[in-house]
This record gives sequence, C-alpha cells and structure tokens, in this order.
Amino acid sequence: MSITTEARPEPSAPPRPARRRLPGIGADRSVRSVLLVAAIIPTAALAFLIYQMVKTAWPAVIFNGVGFFTTKTFTIGNLYATGTEVHHGYTAAKGASYGILPLVFGTVVSSFIAVILAVPVSVGGAILLAERIPVRLQGVLGTFLELLAGIPSVVFGLWGIYTFGPLLSRTLYKWIAALHIPWFTGPTGAGEGMLTASLVLAVMIVPIIASTTRELVRSVPAISKEGALALGLTSSETVRIVTIPYVRTGVVAASILGLARALGETIAVLIISGNFLNAYPHSIFDPFSTMASTIAAFLDSALTDSTGMAVHSLAEVGLVLLAITLVANLAGRMLSRRFSGAGLPVGRGV
Amino acid sequence: MNRLVAIPFILCATTLAACGSSSKTTSSNTSSTTAASTNTTAVTLTTGNPSAAVTINEDGSSLLYPFLQELVSPLTAQYSNITLAPAPGGSGKGIADAIAGTVQMGGSDAYLNSGQLSANPGLMNIPIAVSAQSVYYNLPGVTNLKLTGDILAQIYQGKITKWNDAAIAAVNPGVTLPTTTVVPVRRIDGSGDTFIFTSFLSATNTAWQNGPAFGTSVTWPGVSNELTANGNPGMVQTCKATPGCVAYIGVSAGAAAQAAGLGQSMLQNKSGQFVQANSATITAAVSAGSSNVPPDLAQPLIYEPGAQAYPIVNFEYLVVKATQANASTAEAIRTFLAWAISTSGGSTPQYLAKENFVALPTSVLPAVNAAIAKITP
Repeated sequence: MSITTEARPEPSAPPRPARRRLPGIGADRSVRSVLLVAAIIPTAALAFLIYQMVKTAWPAVIFNGVGFFTTKTFTIGNLYATGTEVHHGYTAAKGASYGILPLVFGTVVSSFIAVILAVPVSVGGAILLAERIPVRLQGVLGTFLELLAGIPSVVFGLWGIYTFGPLLSRTLYKWIAALHIPWFTGPTGAGEGMLTASLVLAVMIVPIIASTTRELVRSVPAISKEGALALGLTSSETVRIVTIPYVRTGVVAASILGLARALGETIAVLIISGNFLNAYPHSIFDPFSTMASTIAAFLDSALTDSTGMAVHSLAEVGLVLLAITLVANLAGRMLSRRFSGAGLPVGRGV
Repeated sequence: MNRLVAIPFILCATTLAACGSSSKTTSSNTSSTTAASTNTTAVTLTTGNPSAAVTINEDGSSLLYPFLQELVSPLTAQYSNITLAPAPGGSGKGIADAIAGTVQMGGSDAYLNSGQLSANPGLMNIPIAVSAQSVYYNLPGVTNLKLTGDILAQIYQGKITKWNDAAIAAVNPGVTLPTTTVVPVRRIDGSGDTFIFTSFLSATNTAWQNGPAFGTSVTWPGVSNELTANGNPGMVQTCKATPGCVAYIGVSAGAAAQAAGLGQSMLQNKSGQFVQANSATITAAVSAGSSNVPPDLAQPLIYEPGAQAYPIVNFEYLVVKATQANASTAEAIRTFLAWAISTSGGSTPQYLAKENFVALPTSVLPAVNAAIAKITP
C-alpha cells in the first residue's frame, strides 16, 4: 500500500469555466439571437432615422449655409416667378430664403415658460400627494394625475383654442395687459399666442414631473424627516430643509425630460400658436411659431415647390429639432440615472 | 408532399378563375354600356359609364369642395359606375397630391406654375367652373363697406391698423367707422384663396407685388395681431370670433359667412367701380378675361377691365395627369369632367348658384375638351 502524501496542492491552472455550449441548447441560442435582433432594432431605427434626416436635409444645408442660423425669414419663395435661385449648385424658387431663428426662439421660449410654470405646480402637488393627503385618497388622485399624461395632445390643442384660450384672453390676459409691464402688454387677441401655448404645454408636462417627484419624495428616508420633526421643525420647514434638497437633482432631471417633451410638441402648438412667421412676437400674447409646428403647417405648401428645396429645408428644421430634443433627453436621463432606478415616464411623442 | 403540390395548384386555379371571371364581366357588359361620343368643335371625347366601378379620389381646394360635394349624387345617378370622393385640404395639397398620384384629381384655385409643369410633363389643370372670392369683415352695424386692393395690401402689411384710418374713410364717405383695430386673417394651409387674393393685392399695390407677390403660400409680412385659419370654414369661424377682423373667403362659403354675421365688402375694380361678388359681376369679369386663354388653360381672371367686372375671379381647376392607370379610370375621369362642365350635367344653374359659381364661358370649351381628350390610359 503506497501512501501518497500531498505536501501541498500543486499550483494548478484555474478551474476551467463550465462549458457554455452544451448540446441541446440550440433553442437557447436561437432565443438569444431573436432577443439580440430585438435589442438592436431600436438602435438601428434611430440610426436609420438620423441618416435619412441628414440625407434629406443635405441639399438645404448646402443651399442655406450658415445663413440658416442667422436669418429671420422662412419663405418658400415665389413659385410663380420666372427663374430660380441657385446657391452652391442647388436650386430653389426665386426669393426663397430659409432661416430658423424665430422658430428656435419660439420653441425655446415657449418650452422654458412651460417648464417654469410646471415645476412649482408639480413639485408642490407631488409633495402634497406623497405626504399630506390621506393614504386612501393618494391612490385616486395619483391615478388622475397619470391620466392627464394619457390625454392626446390634439385634444389639448382643441381645448386650448376653443375654451381655454378665449376664456383666458377675456379675463386673465386683460388684467395682466392692464399692468403695462413691458412684454406682458399689448392686444390680447382671442387667446392664440405664446402664453396660451405655454400654459397648455405646462399642463401637458405636469404629469411627467409630478409622478417622478412623487416617487422621489416617497423615497426620502423616514428617519431624516422624523428627526427633523423631533427637533421641532414644522412640517413646511421639514419639506424645505429635508425633502427638497434630497429630491432636487431628481426634479431637475424630470424637468429636463418635461422640457424635451415640450420642445417636440407639435399638434397642440400648431393649433394654438397662431403660426406667425418671419418676425419675433412683440409680447407674450402674440402668435408665434415653433420648429415642430412649422414643419407640420408647411408640409403641404412645401410639396408644391417643384425644386424640392422647401421640403429639404423643412427636413433641416427637423434635423435641428431632432438634435435639440436628443440632447435634452440624453441630459435628463443621464442626470436621472445617478439616483433613481425606477422607470421614468418615457413620455409620449407628438 | 401532397400538400406542397396542392397549394400552388389551388393558387393557380383561383387566379385563373378570377381572371376568367373579370373578363367575362367585361364581355357581358359591353353590350349594355352606352358609349357616348360628345362632338365638340374638332374634338371627339369618348365618355360613358365605365365597365368596372371606379372611385375618383379628389382633394384640395376648399373653395371648390362644396361644389364637388353637390355633384357626388347626381354623378352616380347618371353614371352608376363612377363615384366621386372629394375632400378639402387646400389647393396646395391638391396639387401636391395630384403630382404624387395619391389622388386622381387635385382641386385647385391656382393654375400650375412653370416649374410644376416642366417637372411633370402630362400634368394638366382643367377648369370646370368659375368662382370668385369676397372680402368679409366683422364690424357689426357697418354694411356694404367699400375697400380697394391697395387698402387691403396696406392692412396685410400692417400699415393700416385702425378701421377709421383716413384711407378707408376716404372711400367710404358718410360712413361712421369705428376705432377698432384691424385684425387681418390669413390662410395657413397652401391655399388657392391665398393665390387669388395675393394676385389681387399684387395687381393693385406695387410694394406687395415687389415683396410677397402671389402664390398658394407667400411670405406674409409680419403684422403683430394677424391670425391664421385653415380652410374657408376656418376663416369664417376665426373672423366670427374676432371683432374687427378682415378675411378673404371664397364665395362658396358666402352663405356661412353671412350666417355668421360677417359683412361682405365691395371691392374697387379696374374701372374704378365698387362691386360686390354676384353672378353678373363674375360673368362680366370672366367674359373680359377669357378672350384668349392659352392652350394650357392657365389663365388668371384677376382685376379684369369692365365697369361691372368683379376683381377677384378665378377658374376652378382640377389638376389631372394625362396618363391614367387603366382604361376604366381614364374613361371615368373624362366622363366626369365632360359631365361637370355640361350645362345639363354638373354646371346647371341650380348647382352653380348654390355655391355662387358661374359656368365656364363657351369660348374656353374647345380648349377644355381638348385637354379632357388627352386623358388616356
């Protein structure tokens, strides 16, 4: 009998990893392939969309040049004039000049006003919903809030132009205009204008900001709140000193997502904005145009331009809008990923 | 194996049966089809009820739309296999859709421009009626206000902002004009009404002609309280809701505009007379303007001379491609067009008067029939 003693275990190579490819796992592999395809599709779709937009906008990018970002007028030109305009090898109708400045102004200003109006309402409402309202009612009111997010934007547009706008123009706008504050005074019209559009946009983005804030407020550690109360702070001081600093970053992230939604909003703005081109609004009650509403409003006219430059220019406007909203969405999601694992509202498109 | 053989066999059988049955239908129907030949000067049109049911899709001009809506039932009553499906959307959309082939006919108050004609050989604009456009205003208590094209051009440039402006008072002696702010309303969609209105402004105001000029979509000068509307019904609604507004509305929406309480203005024509749009003044304008219509039928009727001529008059065009997909569609379109312009078919006084339109003058009928005859498969 031989006794084999092992002085010490020989240093051996690390154990081989278990074999991933086992026979009979073909079904697993095909499922993985299918899922891989499904995962690639959204990325491929986005890449294809960007490629097509750039391709369609390219003639306009060359034709318009840098002037696109410095010109005030957006005009198809005179289709019935003799002759055409040719710049850098691309043709457009005589007198055509495409500039995006007032559109960017309208888009950015209306969206920012909407966010400025929506954030206090959403944060206040969310804190109320999460902390003050009896638990029985929280569910019901929370559901109503989320229902607001599901209303189609065209319904908001119709409501804005037939009910909300005229009502406001007869009451609130007249009072504000009577104060004669610069930029807040002037003819109030029938309600079609920047302030009405911003208010309707604010109503549309309140659910996005409020539901995120509500989740964040719920996640504030109870021990911090109870400690504050124990130290003698009132509940409003607790909110101010404990809750709000805790949720601040998340609220900013949600606001950026709401901003992205407002930037891209088309139909509601098309209906209520008044579609005022080639000049800047003089007051907050004046009609204006946004990039998205201009694309929608001008598409039919652009298709009658036989040179095609009108459609290319609208595609260029769309490209700029795409870039702005992608950046806003990216910023919002990157900020939000730092603290929240819960799914954020994706936000509906048009 | 049996299943693999059977499937293609069944498919072939059903296809052959379908082909066979359709040819049977054709042959059995030729005996009952009444093929009519309309003899006009030097043009023979072959029209009649096509052998297969055809739906003619149309969209475009909101000025032409009510007239086409009227013609839907009588057309099918006369020719059972032809159904007309009109839709509004603006002349710009009508032209674009006709070019793209989305619809068989595009309704337009504007004729095609040289760029569109050269890019689409075979595309034609065929007039079927004569219409006009009035300028309405919302000033309760003021009736029969007189306006000129020059005043309107200044309003739409923002140079005249109050209704009691000196220029307006000068042509309305004895009328008390209110101090209300003028609110101009314009069309946002690619519009034939915009085309004829801006043609009128270009003919009467040099700054307008050198600036925005005319088109289905123009660069409107920035006027701070200007409103926009979609389609003629939209213009009526917006003007009704806005005191002090002025809007250009096609005559087919005239009844709605009157019902909304808007006042119809009298416009100054080339001879200096102030006239309102009615069949006499429209007929005077088209008679003056249709003496030498070009073969492509692109003829404006704006600001025609004549003491009784109304200044904003236009042909209502249907934009059609000369080459159609098949013989049935071509026959259906030819038949519809020939019937529509016939005074015993679509252009009866009853149908025209409801929209305040006027029938095509007989002098253009040869050219129109020549164009219709070009529609072939």
